[in-house]
Amino acid sequence: MYSLLPLLSIMVPLSIGFLHLILHPFWFLESFFKKTYKTLLLFSVFLTLITVLSMVPYVLAGEVLEVPHLSLRVDSRNMAGLIGVSLIFFLASIYNVEAEKGGRLKPTMYNFFLLLFLCCMLGLLLSHDLFGIFLFVELTVGVSVILVAHNPSKLSTEAAFKYLIITAVSALFVLLGVLIIFFLTGNTNLFDITSNPHMYARLVENPQLLMLAVACFIIGLGADIGIVPFHGWLPDVFPGSTIIINGFFCSEPIALILALYNLVAPFYKIYPSNVIIALMVGLGLISMVFGALVAYPQKNFYRMLAYCSIDEFGHIMFVLGLLASPISFAVGQYYLVNSALMKAGMILSLGSVFFKTGTADMEKLGGLLRKMDKTALSYIICALSLTGIPPLSGFYAKWLLYSVAYNFILELGGTAIAVLSLVFLICISMVTFIFLLRSFHQIFMGQATETTKEACEVRWAMWLPTIISAVSAVILGLQPQILLSLIGVA
Amino acid sequence: MEPIVTATLIASTVATLCGVFAKTTKQLIRLLAVQAAALGLVELVLCLINLILGLGFEALVDFFATFSEWFAAAVITPLIIYWGMIKTENVHDEPSINVKRVGLALVAIVILSLILSFFASRFLPEKINVLPFVAIMFSISVFIIATRTDPLKILAGLNMAENALYPMFAESPLFLIPFILALMIFVNLVGVFIIVEAYHDYGNLSVKAWRLNE
Repeated sequence: MYSLLPLLSIMVPLSIGFLHLILHPFWFLESFFKKTYKTLLLFSVFLTLITVLSMVPYVLAGEVLEVPHLSLRVDSRNMAGLIGVSLIFFLASIYNVEAEKGGRLKPTMYNFFLLLFLCCMLGLLLSHDLFGIFLFVELTVGVSVILVAHNPSKLSTEAAFKYLIITAVSALFVLLGVLIIFFLTGNTNLFDITSNPHMYARLVENPQLLMLAVACFIIGLGADIGIVPFHGWLPDVFPGSTIIINGFFCSEPIALILALYNLVAPFYKIYPSNVIIALMVGLGLISMVFGALVAYPQKNFYRMLAYCSIDEFGHIMFVLGLLASPISFAVGQYYLVNSALMKAGMILSLGSVFFKTGTADMEKLGGLLRKMDKTALSYIICALSLTGIPPLSGFYAKWLLYSVAYNFILELGGTAIAVLSLVFLICISMVTFIFLLRSFHQIFMGQATETTKEACEVRWAMWLPTIISAVSAVILGLQPQILLSLIGVA
Repeated sequence: MEPIVTATLIASTVATLCGVFAKTTKQLIRLLAVQAAALGLVELVLCLINLILGLGFEALVDFFATFSEWFAAAVITPLIIYWGMIKTENVHDEPSINVKRVGLALVAIVILSLILSFFASRFLPEKINVLPFVAIMFSISVFIIATRTDPLKILAGLNMAENALYPMFAESPLFLIPFILALMIFVNLVGVFIIVEAYHDYGNLSVKAWRLNE
């Protein structure tokens, strides 16, 4: 069905962002923007969220909304992702009202880049054109680098530079992959490529090049996401960014991981090689183990969350990599959106702790439970949900993941290997559970320290988004079909 | 492949190779300009000949697209990095592993790429027969990025890697060129902005020193 709604959801943040950019040189408006830029951002993101939500009834009715000439499309394959991105962005925008204290970027430029960032992520989810995906990936990462550098601290420039170089090299891999597919097929539309027998045949005739292109996509986007061994930038970017930018960044993996799947899955259908599955699942497993084990000894909570994110990306890559399984994509999507939402709740809660105490060193923290009760409550609920404790949403996500993995391995290698794999996955989750619980204990329990004795609860604009994340963990845990119906598997 | 194309690809590969041994930021920026200019020259001349012979609107659009691509890679990008150098300093340094090892590693990269290209030529379609050169230049550029501590040299190396893919852009759709150019310039502006800010923060241009200063 032809609809302008997908285009509108990109145009709303883009046009308001450009309005900020145009007004940037007018110095006499600077004081006006200084007073209103946070409200303007919140309003713009709210409008975008409304536009995205207005597509939900159509998707629930099984419609596909398309802008064919721009290769934009909304259906059950990306609706949950779109909502996830805009919702996290909206929550972070509420948090931004109190948390943003200025930085290297002036208010107009700050809003411009944030809105451009949102626009790029939505574009990445909506586009099914190879060049469109490449452009949105490059822009998303470029804008992220600027947002990291917004933090006036020394750490941010070093982190931003590392991020820029790793992701710029990775973008070249994505471009190489895109160009190889374009040379082979003469087309860039993923649906045309998979449905046209002539193009299909040309790809099948050149399996080595097709595999090279897929490998380029996995390396390129894997580095942008932060998958091991391309994760080098991630543990520096978390402590290097401002607390609020970390909140906005929680939505980024949704767009990037779904873009990676959209680039890899169609070519797996054309040339169903086990090498593609091995590459995705292998990288997922390595990330999972590495992330969980390295997060365990961390003393800085931002670094711990960075490695915890790598662990989560590993889980998602693992399940999305089971390309032969018919429900792996739906499960991967559910896990991805839930994980991003919970991580947003945790990062914003820890941001509040940093905001009040000025430190991310867990050894210097303690006794914040009574002083910051709402923050502590939302942190523990989100952390428990992330580790898969019932009846929270993460339990359902983990359950689905284990079920898909078990059935896949059962068909491949028999009961013993399937059970062993399941035990292995549960052990990884146990490690995550232990270090997240320990972090809660270190930060919120025990006696107040010298650093925390003056701390008190943050203002409502900062605890409200974290509470919303925690409430969503409970609601989605009790009623998982709310999210599953959007994915199209209810 | 036509001899003139091979010659320009060899020239740009040599320029990339010289980049490994460049001592100052200024030298590397010059080599970046030479590499980009050489890479785009054949396509540009072909478009110019088409324009003169055909005088058609399509030929004119083609020429301007190719010219803007060439101009952005060979002039604007080096100028952006040069501007970053003026704002900071022209660092005089050497690759962080010694020259003998650099030489050996480069020989190994080139031999490996040639072996790879020999085998790859069996299944490469005619359109992508520049891929071996692309692979060599890309590997050398990544090597520059990996062995330098001066961020401006790393940025120049990154651009060399990006330029290495230029021969493959030649047949990309026309509508894409403005976007790729804008992205290329955007990434460089972001890079220079961060380097200048970091220079103000740390007072030097060494990624290694930045890491130690954290």
